[in-house]
Amino acid sequence: MSGPLFVFHGIEKTFAEDEILRKVDLSLYPAKCILLTGKNGSGKTTLLKIIAGLEKPEKAEIEISGKLHCWKKVMPIIRKEIIYLHQQAFLFSGTVESNVAYGLRFTSLTREQRRESLKKALERSGLTDLAKQQANTLSGGVQQRVAFTRAWILKPKVLLLDEPVSNMDQESREKACLLIQRMKSAGMSIVITSHVPQYFDGLADVQFDLVNGKLLQ
Amino acid sequence: MNGLLLTTQQALQLLLYGDAELWSIVLLSFSVSLKAILLTTPFGLLLAFGLHHGNFPGIRFILAFFNSLLSVPTVVVGLFLYVLLTRQGPFGDLKLLFTQSAMVIGQMILCFPVLVALGYAAIQAADRRVWETSRTLGAPTWYTILTIFYEVRFGLLAAVLTGFGRVISEVGISMMVGGNIMGYTRNITTAIALETSKGEFAQGIALGLVLLSLSFLLTAFLSYIQSKKGVIT
Repeated sequence: MSGPLFVFHGIEKTFAEDEILRKVDLSLYPAKCILLTGKNGSGKTTLLKIIAGLEKPEKAEIEISGKLHCWKKVMPIIRKEIIYLHQQAFLFSGTVESNVAYGLRFTSLTREQRRESLKKALERSGLTDLAKQQANTLSGGVQQRVAFTRAWILKPKVLLLDEPVSNMDQESREKACLLIQRMKSAGMSIVITSHVPQYFDGLADVQFDLVNGKLLQ
Repeated sequence: MNGLLLTTQQALQLLLYGDAELWSIVLLSFSVSLKAILLTTPFGLLLAFGLHHGNFPGIRFILAFFNSLLSVPTVVVGLFLYVLLTRQGPFGDLKLLFTQSAMVIGQMILCFPVLVALGYAAIQAADRRVWETSRTLGAPTWYTILTIFYEVRFGLLAAVLTGFGRVISEVGISMMVGGNIMGYTRNITTAIALETSKGEFAQGIALGLVLLSLSFLLTAFLSYIQSKKGVIT
């Protein structure tokens, strides 16, 4: 097995004197999927947001290629490699196409390359026919698929999925799991939080339970 | 009653036959107020954003301060500015008193709290996921701010139009720091006040009709974009 992409050490987070995360350690490997379970309010979402750089921890260090870095210093650099997806996908006003292409403008790709990349991503996710449709008129399942595609097109090293299939019917859930499997096969490190671990049987390589601010395997 | 009808008829004739004096007053009004609102909007909205996303002590106090300024009488702003710009005042050397620039500055002071308070309310209504999604997709801070502004564009537009409505219809500032000089600083509201004091109601009513039409147009436009928002989201 190749070495970890990022190793998070000693993540600590407190809300109103309540310790949500207590020295949590987590290693993220390429093409591996971690399933995080835990009760409501146990801190799963907070942990994902800290890993994505969207929330500040009290303390945390990140190990990259065997070297330890302070979370605050290295996060602006590695946040480009990590994408967080909300439990309920948020799509911007506009079409499916404009949503999927949103992050491409911040890459070094040329306009032609961006167009090509967008076309391929829409085809891969079966969204070509919906490309010109207003994103907020779609069903929850399709919106989540658009959000997956919008993340996938940027080829992040790590994808953090917060309850990705919680509001889906069985058909949408199966489609979403297939998409996640393909993203994992493409080499992405994936972290999923879920109340129902059974949905991800065969997809998750390791499962952790977040209890009292600690990760238990 | 006949007198009122006759005067209104004269007012309509002035408007329809393109009375040069009347339309120059209308143009000057729009020119001054548009400059004021355009110059203030970026600062007002950015401060509103900063107050919403900032994390520093005193935010509530600053917001309460801007909310209280929403109803400040325009003559008080005019007086404050007059004291600053008068020849003996701290900015007397700039020789801005009784100029269009002074009117623009005064109107900027007037519409700034409107933009901050209403802009804050609009930004506050934005889904927190807009910020997080934009950031996680690699957008720099400035682009994320633009994205949030776009997502709440209808609320922000309402703030800008309300600010414009406030400055185009004010009289206190224009009278005190503009001086109501014909062809130079006379705008719709100061002209109405002057014509009425002279007993010349026709031009006053004609200018009043322009202001009323503008008010109806702004309200209609706001209703239209709000109904459009309902369709889009």
